[in-house]
Amino acid sequence: MNRVRLLATVAFGATIALAATVPNTTFAKDKVKVGFVGPLTGGVSANGIGGRNSADLAVRLRNKDAKAKYEYELIVQDDECKPNIGVQAATKVAADKDVIAAATHYCSAVAIATVPTYHKFGLPVVVWGAVLPAITYGNDYKEVHRVNGTMINQNQIAAKFMRSLGYKTWAVIHDTTDYGKGHNEFFSENLAKEGGKILATFGVTSDQQDFTAELTKIKELNPDAIYFGGLTPIGVRIRAQMDKLGVDSLLQGTSGIVSDAFIEGAGKLAEGTVAFREGAPTEKLPGGKFFLENYKSEKYDNPPEAYGAFAFAAMNLILDTIEKEGPDRKKVRDALNKVKGVDSIVGEISFDDHGQNTVALITKYVTQDGKWTVWEDSEYASGKRKLARQK
Amino acid sequence: MDIGFLAQYLINGLMLGMIYALVAVGFTLFFGVLDVIKFSHGDVLTVGAFAGLATYLGLQAVGISNPAIQILIVVIIATTSVAGLGALIARYIVMPIRSAPPLNTLLITLMLGTVLRESVRLFYPQGANPQSFPSLLPTQSLTLGNFNLRLDNAIMLIAGVMVIVGVQFLLNRTKLGLAIRAVAQDEETAKTMGVNFTLVVLITFALGSALAAFGGVMNGLYYNEVNFGMGLLLGVIGFSSAIVGGLGNIYGAILGGFLFAGLQTIGAVSLPFASAYKDVFAFAIVIAIMAWRPTGLIQEKISERV
Amino acid sequence: METNENQTSASLWPALAGAVLTTVYVILLLKVESQTEVIGLLIVGAVAILVGTWTGHLARAGQTLAGRENILNLFVILGTLAMIGYFHEDHFILLLVATVMLYVLATLGLNLQFGYAGVLNFAGASFFGVGGYTAAVLGTHTAIPGLLIILIGGVMAALIGSMLLLPVLRTRGHYAAVVTIAFSLLFKVFLEVNDVLGGPQGLQVPGMKILGWKFNDNIEIGQNFELSFYVNYLVVILLILITAFILVRRLERSWVGLNLDALRLDETAATCFGLNIVRWKITAFLLGNFLIGVAGALSGMVIGFVAPTSFTFGDSLILVSIVLLGGIGNVWGLVVATAIVVIIPEKLQAIQEYRFLLYAAMVMLMLLFRPEGLLPRPVRQFFPGWRSK
Repeated sequence: MNRVRLLATVAFGATIALAATVPNTTFAKDKVKVGFVGPLTGGVSANGIGGRNSADLAVRLRNKDAKAKYEYELIVQDDECKPNIGVQAATKVAADKDVIAAATHYCSAVAIATVPTYHKFGLPVVVWGAVLPAITYGNDYKEVHRVNGTMINQNQIAAKFMRSLGYKTWAVIHDTTDYGKGHNEFFSENLAKEGGKILATFGVTSDQQDFTAELTKIKELNPDAIYFGGLTPIGVRIRAQMDKLGVDSLLQGTSGIVSDAFIEGAGKLAEGTVAFREGAPTEKLPGGKFFLENYKSEKYDNPPEAYGAFAFAAMNLILDTIEKEGPDRKKVRDALNKVKGVDSIVGEISFDDHGQNTVALITKYVTQDGKWTVWEDSEYASGKRKLARQK
Repeated sequence: MDIGFLAQYLINGLMLGMIYALVAVGFTLFFGVLDVIKFSHGDVLTVGAFAGLATYLGLQAVGISNPAIQILIVVIIATTSVAGLGALIARYIVMPIRSAPPLNTLLITLMLGTVLRESVRLFYPQGANPQSFPSLLPTQSLTLGNFNLRLDNAIMLIAGVMVIVGVQFLLNRTKLGLAIRAVAQDEETAKTMGVNFTLVVLITFALGSALAAFGGVMNGLYYNEVNFGMGLLLGVIGFSSAIVGGLGNIYGAILGGFLFAGLQTIGAVSLPFASAYKDVFAFAIVIAIMAWRPTGLIQEKISERV
Repeated sequence: METNENQTSASLWPALAGAVLTTVYVILLLKVESQTEVIGLLIVGAVAILVGTWTGHLARAGQTLAGRENILNLFVILGTLAMIGYFHEDHFILLLVATVMLYVLATLGLNLQFGYAGVLNFAGASFFGVGGYTAAVLGTHTAIPGLLIILIGGVMAALIGSMLLLPVLRTRGHYAAVVTIAFSLLFKVFLEVNDVLGGPQGLQVPGMKILGWKFNDNIEIGQNFELSFYVNYLVVILLILITAFILVRRLERSWVGLNLDALRLDETAATCFGLNIVRWKITAFLLGNFLIGVAGALSGMVIGFVAPTSFTFGDSLILVSIVLLGGIGNVWGLVVATAIVVIIPEKLQAIQEYRFLLYAAMVMLMLLFRPEGLLPRPVRQFFPGWRSK
């Protein structure tokens, strides 16, 4: 072997030896990792990004606080609002032993799929946006908690309210994830109790493009209102195609379409759409002003959207618990299970024996002039404007 | 069922069929001329739709707001830019590997489609989210009893028909069309007869891609929405329609497109739960047809050098 | 033969050194977290390969192994075990290693279909999904033991694949590819709209249990030593992978493989020689699907969850890209390509978003300039070691 080759080999060997000494990770001892999972891309990314910014705000405020015992790092994962990606993201966050707790999920379909994952790895989580009851009530796992409400109350109030306005017949369109199916179940149940009639129910996939078939059939049946259990992207399409086909029933949605993205997408057609959400609008929350002011001063590119305040509250709760109990998953989990009457920007948080917070207030919304307006404050309530088919 | 509703379904089906047919014609042109299945066609459609959207936004920014002018410029820019893209693809990607097994071409165009799709998703601002596409055509509707026809749907149908008729005319009555058909029939003889092979291929690809862009803009106008994944499904459906009609046969492609849309509409109407199953139904039919007639309903005449 | 004598006298040292270095490199790559370290390591790796090729070390190592594939296999197994041992507590890295191994298993199946029988299967992810869903349904509703579920998963994939047999057999080349593309799309939509199999929500997959030993529990040895529960799965996967690998290799070397090769290279000539094309195509297709199904069932159990969006056309394309990048017909190429495709985007967060784009672009370049792939399949060797001098 000639000289040059020999030299090259030696040099190369030395480089490898050098490279092998490179990885030595040293962390400042008092750094603590917390996680955030939400839909950062895809049709409902506005909500996910709003949630992430809010959680980030909580971490930043805490890191600025000189009295905090630890320095916090937010680990963010994108679940794309798809159950399988969510399970991957959850596995990543939960498998990392340095992450102590996480604020998780806006999409119910994802949250219900990841519950077993968090339990498998023993990571305590606080849900900030998913409303499906089964997430907390469907299991006995100590790891899962939730600060926002469930869809049960939403649909109870919705049925009562709509009947009180005089609507008699409905057609239901819902997406086929557990989220849409849950809404369908609870609304149908409550509507039956109130004496309303459902003329037809249609299940659609969460990325369906073309609703002309369903809407044409609905046109034949001519219901007073169309109940839509699903998220913003389909909501926008349904509204647009309703207009195309000349379907003039009222569009009634759930918390899934209470977002600026719906109004942006549907444009002028969004006017006069009714929806319901648990919790007060952010400005009216106990800590709402504080939250919004601080949010603005951090100059995020996107608004907090409907559930940003809950994400903030969830992350704050996690940080408070870690401060008290130290960075230990089991201790944090047990402490979270005992939370009762703790103050937060969304009001008092108390977890019941399934880790569920009670959010009693349901807000009724209607879109007016390009904004989601609280029903009582709107011109529809005072009678100046009328909803489609309102008696 | 009320005749009004039947008519409604009919119009829905026709619109779908028109879009599928436009894509299918593209596929069939490419296959006829170069014996290639250019699987990136659907994603070229997406690029066309987004190009149209970008043009519209640009026009808005510049201050041109007359919808008639807008739509004209949008269509022109979308189709010409994508036609250029098609020619580039032909020249640098498809033609160099012509001599390799056709599977390689399929693969490379499949990957190209992915590159196009991902590029839109990554590089167009907010590309991963569905984008709303403006309604540039008048939206008044004509209501006859239970039948509701919006003016923009009618205009699109007519425009689509005119484009297809135009393509027919080009292929059957002009010298360029003659050259294209000659190359499709027999490359070597066409060359001997003095046809500029490369030029004809480039023009054909440009033409097919322009058709796709037109279809993309139409799709955007119809659904008022474009998203980066729209091309994949449309591409496969367009391709299946072309197969069903027999690759290389324009009438077959158009027939296939409307047939496919018809199948989907019938599926959606008759199977009660099933508007969602209509895609499954349609693909299953495609697989069945390929099992029965491996080269399409209107048989391809193949001879192989053994 | 003369050449054989020369072979046995060649030293094993270059190969051993190579194996050790590779193992260390992979362990380092998996371990480091900061982006600069990752990029640094990748550059070192690229340079190492270039230097190795130039100084002739790589070629020499390759030669010593060419005749003795057993030793190569042994090195790889030892290296993998070393990796598992090193990362025994780190859940996520073990999951990565498991994913790589499962993809290798699946692409072995695809390779069988394409590299040996010339049938390109664009529905790889769908058959993978069949295995996963079988594991979900059988695991939740019946008491069938874990290993049997895996086998049944493979069988189901083969059965469903047989539905496609008629169209695939009757069509040639790109038409056949289209049939599988249509099936891939059909499969995903079918799962999404169908509530019986969980719909878009997917299904949870219970973990494997062998004779009462629950695979989803961490293994604790003594007070302080805890092994991640993924180690359970990894051992099983490794065993199955080794079996499949041996099977495929034997097949390749046997007269069955010879028939398949003839079939792929020139169908018409093969028919002239009296080969029954149909039978061999069916065998390759079904066997390939079986392997893919087994990988899918295992994957379902490891991840614990299956949903329609895990098995889209895009995922099938990734599997196809691996086969193309790795070199059609070359099983070691598959391992390298899979490792690149799975590990690097995980480590290099910056390119996570762009990974589909990158793979597609790489495959395109490959097809334009080097259609045989990264490690092209060498011409058939009738006697091991015969070719190299």
